[in-house]
Amino acid sequence: MNPEPFLQIDRVIHEKGRLAIMSMLAASAELSFTELRDTLGMTDGNVTTHIRTLQEAGYLSVTKSFQNNRPLTTCAMTPAGRKAFSHYINLLERIIQQNKPE
Amino acid sequence: MESNWAAEHLQVIRTLMERSALYRRALAPIMIFNGVVGLAAAGLGWALKVGSPHAFILFWGAVSVVALTGSFLLVRRQAIKESEPFWSPPTRRVSQAFLPPLAAGLMIGIVAWAKGGAAPGNLSDLSGVIWLPLLWVMLYGCAFHAAGFFMPRGMKIFGWVFVVGGCGLFAAGVPDWIRPLDCAHGIMGLFFGGLHFAYGVYLYFTERRRHEM
Repeated sequence: MNPEPFLQIDRVIHEKGRLAIMSMLAASAELSFTELRDTLGMTDGNVTTHIRTLQEAGYLSVTKSFQNNRPLTTCAMTPAGRKAFSHYINLLERIIQQNKPE
Repeated sequence: MESNWAAEHLQVIRTLMERSALYRRALAPIMIFNGVVGLAAAGLGWALKVGSPHAFILFWGAVSVVALTGSFLLVRRQAIKESEPFWSPPTRRVSQAFLPPLAAGLMIGIVAWAKGGAAPGNLSDLSGVIWLPLLWVMLYGCAFHAAGFFMPRGMKIFGWVFVVGGCGLFAAGVPDWIRPLDCAHGIMGLFFGGLHFAYGVYLYFTERRRHEM
């Protein structure tokens, strides 16, 4: 078996919580912090940590604003994040393909 | 083994992407509100004997404005409460799906209103435009079915109930013993009031259970 796809897997995205955040943002232009937290059933701290990691990797952009005098944090995937996510999916597909019985 | 792991990951990604695109505001209050408005309007229309096509179309047009405004205010209140944007991508998608059939219903209503007033004979009383509420019901069902692709699964079934019910009544026709006034307001009350209210009550319990889980 070719181990190359395994070695190429992006560890930043591969973590379960971060993969969930990236998956959700891949389907929506932007999502609020609360939407991510409630849909994924994560704690505030967990979401914050994952978002920070993804932001530091350049995969997410975070916008802080106010709506009706209440703070609103929204996240969106950056072009680099979209590329990395697409690459990650391709690797998963390659792993499935190479393990398919002949 | 590795293949299973990768396939499971892809399945998780797909599920989350689908869930992300879904409209997830609580629909029970919106349904119940629309149900109450529909039932009250049907009762009011019947009590006030809103019987000419002109008055009927204007009356139910005004009711739909009240229902739409109320629904948008309820959605906005939920969004503010949860510190989320009101005009979110799922809200946009659902609104866009609703729009064509609702616009068609509005246009048909306007044309019927314009022609009905001038036309002599059967268009000048409600028995001549009894098809109109049924057409509104069917178009509304189509709107719900289209929006159902971005909402929880039950919405498509709810849309089908309107379509099948509207078509069924259209095929069955109006029995002679029912006055057109009762029939027209009855159809509007039954579908736009009764069905919304019943589904709203059902959602009230199921959505609450989902949130408690």
